[in-house]
Amino acid sequence: MLSKLRSLPLSYKISGIYILANLFIFIVDILLLWGINSMSVDMEMTYQDNRHLNELLLSLDSVQDAMTGYLNAKTTDSLSDYYISEQHYSELVNELGTEITDRPYGRMERNIKNMSADYLDDVSKTIEAKRGRNVEKYRVHYEDATRLYEYIKTYIRSLNSEQFVTNSQMYTSLARSFRIFEFFAIIIMFAVLVGSALIIIRITGALIDPLKQLSESADEVANGNLDATLPKSTYDDEIGKLTSAFGKMMVSIKEYIERIRMSMEKERIMQEKELMMETHLKDAQLKYLQAQINPHFLFNTLNAGAQLAMMEGADRTYEYVQTVADFFRYNVKKQDEMVNLEEEVELVDNYIRILNVRFSGDIHYEKQVDERLLKVRMPSMILQPIVENAVNHGIREMGDKGHIFLRVYRDLDRICVSVRDNGKGMSSEDIDKVVGGKWKYEEQVGDSNGIGMDNVIARLRLYCERDDVINIYSEGEDLGTEVIIYLPLTDEVIKKDV
Amino acid sequence: MHNNSEKNNSAHSRRRIAGLIIPTAIFALAILTVGVLLYRIYLVRQGQEGDEKSFDRYYVMITDDLKSSFWQSVYSGAQSTALDKNVFVELLGSNLSYDYTPEELMEIAISSHVDGIMVYGGETERMKELIDEASQKGIPVVTMYSDNPNSQRCSFVGVSGYNMGREYGRQVTDVLREKKRLSYNGATSNGEEEPPIGITMLVDKNMSSSDQNVIMSGLKDSLSGEENGTGYDIRTMAVDNSNPFSVEESIRDVFMEENIPDILICLNELDTTCAYQAAIDYNMVGSVYILGYYDSDKILNAISRNVVFSSVAIDTNELGSFCVEALEEYNESGNTSQYFTADITLIDRNNVSQFMTKEEPADVE
Repeated sequence: MLSKLRSLPLSYKISGIYILANLFIFIVDILLLWGINSMSVDMEMTYQDNRHLNELLLSLDSVQDAMTGYLNAKTTDSLSDYYISEQHYSELVNELGTEITDRPYGRMERNIKNMSADYLDDVSKTIEAKRGRNVEKYRVHYEDATRLYEYIKTYIRSLNSEQFVTNSQMYTSLARSFRIFEFFAIIIMFAVLVGSALIIIRITGALIDPLKQLSESADEVANGNLDATLPKSTYDDEIGKLTSAFGKMMVSIKEYIERIRMSMEKERIMQEKELMMETHLKDAQLKYLQAQINPHFLFNTLNAGAQLAMMEGADRTYEYVQTVADFFRYNVKKQDEMVNLEEEVELVDNYIRILNVRFSGDIHYEKQVDERLLKVRMPSMILQPIVENAVNHGIREMGDKGHIFLRVYRDLDRICVSVRDNGKGMSSEDIDKVVGGKWKYEEQVGDSNGIGMDNVIARLRLYCERDDVINIYSEGEDLGTEVIIYLPLTDEVIKKDV
Repeated sequence: MHNNSEKNNSAHSRRRIAGLIIPTAIFALAILTVGVLLYRIYLVRQGQEGDEKSFDRYYVMITDDLKSSFWQSVYSGAQSTALDKNVFVELLGSNLSYDYTPEELMEIAISSHVDGIMVYGGETERMKELIDEASQKGIPVVTMYSDNPNSQRCSFVGVSGYNMGREYGRQVTDVLREKKRLSYNGATSNGEEEPPIGITMLVDKNMSSSDQNVIMSGLKDSLSGEENGTGYDIRTMAVDNSNPFSVEESIRDVFMEENIPDILICLNELDTTCAYQAAIDYNMVGSVYILGYYDSDKILNAISRNVVFSSVAIDTNELGSFCVEALEEYNESGNTSQYFTADITLIDRNNVSQFMTKEEPADVE
């Protein structure tokens, strides 16, 4: 029952309340009206007896008049008048009570009734005698009838005045009751008015209350608090539905926000992939270049050269050609692989050796390596391009004064690989450009390995999954440059360390 | 957890709805109850007037004076006896706006087909006719106090006139004795022949001569038994009661005659009251001895003040009661005793205080 009530639509509830209140007022009004009506009927009936008696008196008079008229003129009109009035009077008299009570009215009515019977008897005898022209007889009967007529009249008048007195008393008391009733009716109506107003205010308040709470919550949400507490939906009406819909909406907004966050994440990953694509393109270009020379042919040629040098006893040439062969083999083989730091360092060694043969030992190469860190994994072809840069852009034009320092050391939780030269240094704008990845390596300039700094940095960043993988320090023009790359300290290195 | 909170929620809302509906229902019920109660109170108030008792038979009492305390007392005696037998007795004419004579009231009673009539009407011819008519129509008639022996009345309830006469005679003797004592003490004892004592008896005009004679013979018998040497002269005087105030006038006439009687015997309440008032007015207290009748407050007062010498009282309650019993007996068995006699009591200044304590003394000058 209650749950049914709760799930009624709001419009039904509100109209229901008003209809109920009005119905209640209506019922109370009807009851009051009924009370007033029955009282006014009582008041009307108060003098009913007097009216009856007056009617009776008039009727009695008309009987007497008809009789007298007949005796006077003996007209048929008066005779028919007599019959009519006699009939009427008998009917009225028959309504009178015959009970003997301790109240005088009942006895008086009884006496009037009995006397009236005698009277009518006398009157009819008079009429009979008159018709029979029995003068003596009708005179006697007439006198009897007239005497009775007077008695009855006195009785009726006395009864009338007695009843008038009591009826007046009754009327007064009725009127007083009526006034009291009226007073209470006004009080009751006022109470009903106030009561139903209070009830309507309470009930509508209770219906509207959830809406108020909802609007407060909505305000809170509007002010940015997505976790605002939502009101409980008490009823299953429109407000209840609105509240639960609002709750659902809040949940889906949260979900939507989460989805956007996810898609942004995806976009970032996509961008990363794009970057990798670029890298791969570069790699492809490189491979293309590499593919222009048949590596096997190159290595076989170089090996043949090396054997020739050995047979001729030219040990240095043999060593040189062997180094070159190693360098290129590494380049070809390890292009895409993950390697140990050790291999990278070795590659740098080979590279410097080759260069020193080429430039007749002009480059002074020094290295300071923490052997424990050499097993750390890293992308290939990282160190050599950095060293190449240091040679090409740093110390190329310095003759035999150029120095390259390679240092591998541990700094807290990372491994630092520093390549320092004493060349012409870099401006801070150029450093920013390089670190920001905006420095585009001019394609195929000089005798480079072909891998630019931007590629190196991007691959390092991808590998380390963070941005601060490289730092470049230069204290100014001709004061040299130091490039430090940071590699994460992997578990195996730590184990070894222990 | 969620389910739990929902349950709490629904319980809360149920409480809330109950909290709204219950006061509403209580309010509505309270208003309706108040309304119904008010209406019931009103109905009960209305109903209070409607209580009446009904009776099996209806007797009427007809007298010449509706307001005299004598007849009121007789009536109350009759009424109290009648109520026990579920009979209602009405003092006919008391509710009517016109004062009818006993004869007229008889006519009314007859044509009203009452179950019994008790009448004080005297011995007139018209009354005899009416009594006869009534008894022909099957209405038993009892004559009260004053008989109509030639009529077909079923019974007479009254006092013994002879006994009353004797009682008056004894009072007259007492008066004579007192007068004698006074004259011995006074200066009149000069040997002259004293004039005979004048005794006047006031009788109703419509009182039958036989009634008068019975009383008179009782009186005379009583006086002759007490031979005391003083002569007396007994007269009767008819009081005209044919119209409302004539009684008072007739009695004043007695005091204005040359021969004012020494003893005035009154045979009814009104005569007694008028006589003692006239004695006061004409300054005759002490010289006219009034032998009264009945024990109304006024008369008792007068006795205690020595204005009235003594009074003969009838047991009025008994009188009324006998009337009803006679009628009842007649209605049940078809006949009844012809005579009922009520007791009489003498009241003089020796025992007046007993009667006065019985009833509240009236405010009489």
